[in-house]
Amino acid sequence: MVFSQVIHFLQNHIYYIGAFGLIFIGLLIILVKHNLIKVIIGLSILETGVNLFLIAVGYISNGTAPIFSNPSVETQRMVDPVPQALVLTAIVIGVAVLALALSLAIRLYQHYGILDLRQIREQKW
Amino acid sequence: MDDAGLFSGGPNPILLVVVPLGFAFALPLIGFVSKKILKYIPVGVFMFNLVVALRLLPLVLKQPILVEIGGFSPPFCINLVAGPVGILFSALIALAGLLVAVYTLVYIKEGPEEKYHILYLLLLTAATGVVLTGDIFNLFVFFEILCISSYTLVAYVGNRAGIESSVKYLIQGAVGSSLLLIGIGLLYGLFGTLNMADLARQIVSVGSSSAFIPMAFMITGLGIEAAIFPLNSWLPDAHSSAPSSVSAILSGIAIEVGLYAVVRILFTLFGLSSFFLFFVFLGVLTLLIGEMCAFSQNNIKRMLAYSSIGQIGLILFAFAIATAYAVTGGLFQMISHTLGKGLLFLAAGYMIVRSGSMEISSLKGMGKRMPLTALAFTIGAFSLVGLPPFIGFPSKFLIIRSALAEEALIFNILIGLILLGTVIEGAYFFRVVQVIYFQKENEHQKRHEAPVAALIPMFLFMIAIVAIGIYPKLVTGILDSAASELLDRVDYIRSVIQ
Repeated sequence: MVFSQVIHFLQNHIYYIGAFGLIFIGLLIILVKHNLIKVIIGLSILETGVNLFLIAVGYISNGTAPIFSNPSVETQRMVDPVPQALVLTAIVIGVAVLALALSLAIRLYQHYGILDLRQIREQKW
Repeated sequence: MDDAGLFSGGPNPILLVVVPLGFAFALPLIGFVSKKILKYIPVGVFMFNLVVALRLLPLVLKQPILVEIGGFSPPFCINLVAGPVGILFSALIALAGLLVAVYTLVYIKEGPEEKYHILYLLLLTAATGVVLTGDIFNLFVFFEILCISSYTLVAYVGNRAGIESSVKYLIQGAVGSSLLLIGIGLLYGLFGTLNMADLARQIVSVGSSSAFIPMAFMITGLGIEAAIFPLNSWLPDAHSSAPSSVSAILSGIAIEVGLYAVVRILFTLFGLSSFFLFFVFLGVLTLLIGEMCAFSQNNIKRMLAYSSIGQIGLILFAFAIATAYAVTGGLFQMISHTLGKGLLFLAAGYMIVRSGSMEISSLKGMGKRMPLTALAFTIGAFSLVGLPPFIGFPSKFLIIRSALAEEALIFNILIGLILLGTVIEGAYFFRVVQVIYFQKENEHQKRHEAPVAALIPMFLFMIAIVAIGIYPKLVTGILDSAASELLDRVDYIRSVIQ
């Protein structure tokens, strides 16, 4: 009985669980890893999690595209298009941030010859 | 774009965003024609923006101007809300942008100048967009443009310090933006809309405590950009390693825009008045931490950067009291900080160029070597400390008076702490002024003033500081209506959703 409830819960919330799982994994990598490349990978995972979360907000299982001119589609099954538009924007922004981060990592490596953030601490409080 | 009789006369506020954005992307093309004119384009663009904002200012005092993009009406479109707050900030951004762009004409001489000007235009476009937009996701997008261009500008010089602080800033800023986006996603999931007025209306009807978790996400995310303690560890590095012209904009505009977003979300979107005491404490803590760290610095730009943290704390304190007087004081302090810190960074920039070092001790004898720049620095420092007759005096006075109007004992203690912070602020600023004027330099050097194009913006900043300081009524009328726009949620909602 309890088991089937758990399964039911998982079925209904699997996307949210996955999204927040990715978000926490990304945050954890950013917090504990010392290598800059790994931190940037963490940022990427974090952004993926956020994007998945946004998609999950508007998702309906077995949904269809919201095309009102097509009369065979009933409105209850239409997926909300706004979060998808948001995610497209967020992906583009994420790409820009990642590209900038990686190019800064290259410049950092040219200056220090190392990517270990523990040893790059000339600037401090 | 459809303005459907919503406003009559005056320029369309969307020009404030569109013109700098268009020129930012047209710059490389103009660069094909002539490389020499590139650096004059930001000057022209922000002069235009300043004129538009000043022409709109009397109109929006009567009634906020709405711009609906795409021909739909709110809440289905992305809209700009040009109320007193938005136009006041746009004017401030355009003024600071114009003066710093003039300074840049002579200050930025090496490196990829073309990219500098593109990023500079984008940074200030995004800042204007954040203060004008009425859509929460649009705010996020503008915020990201602001962040990405400031990460890049911090690394502009490309030296060790610049790259290192840019990386730190980028990592923290990207986490902050992700948190902001999670908050926006949660809000959309709860209420199914992204329009700020519509969200505010729905939050009013269901009670603000149900939206607490999205608020926590959004405030934390924006708090990183606004440099609220304990999220401000990137700021001193980034502001001190950027070129001085960029530091002036980052300190004077970028963090204040972040704080504007925090305040807009707290006041208009959520209106959680039970939480304001927490922000009062956070403000005082930020103030004290910033001032104490600034006091222990030997590097002049780091000192100014920490002083920005202190000022942000003071502004947050003022807003969190949330009375009409206090919010007016907070907005006034924002203007005072933009003018004062902008002037300080510009003056410090050329003193650093001439002395070749950022150490405070290397500024000895600057009072003789570059008397006008030293005078500019002194006026900026006195204004930030809050001495009359400069602008810092009426703004700080207004904040303290509004805090005194709160009867609770705790506010008396907090006022004591803020005055203690001001004393520390005075101590470190007067120490620098003392070094500049009264310490004998080792070998006598000839007088070598900053170039005229750098002196003119400093001079204009000084005029603004003294003029508003002597005659605060120049701005208080605008500030009063801006404060009432921030405090009156219902009026904001009604003005957007007819």
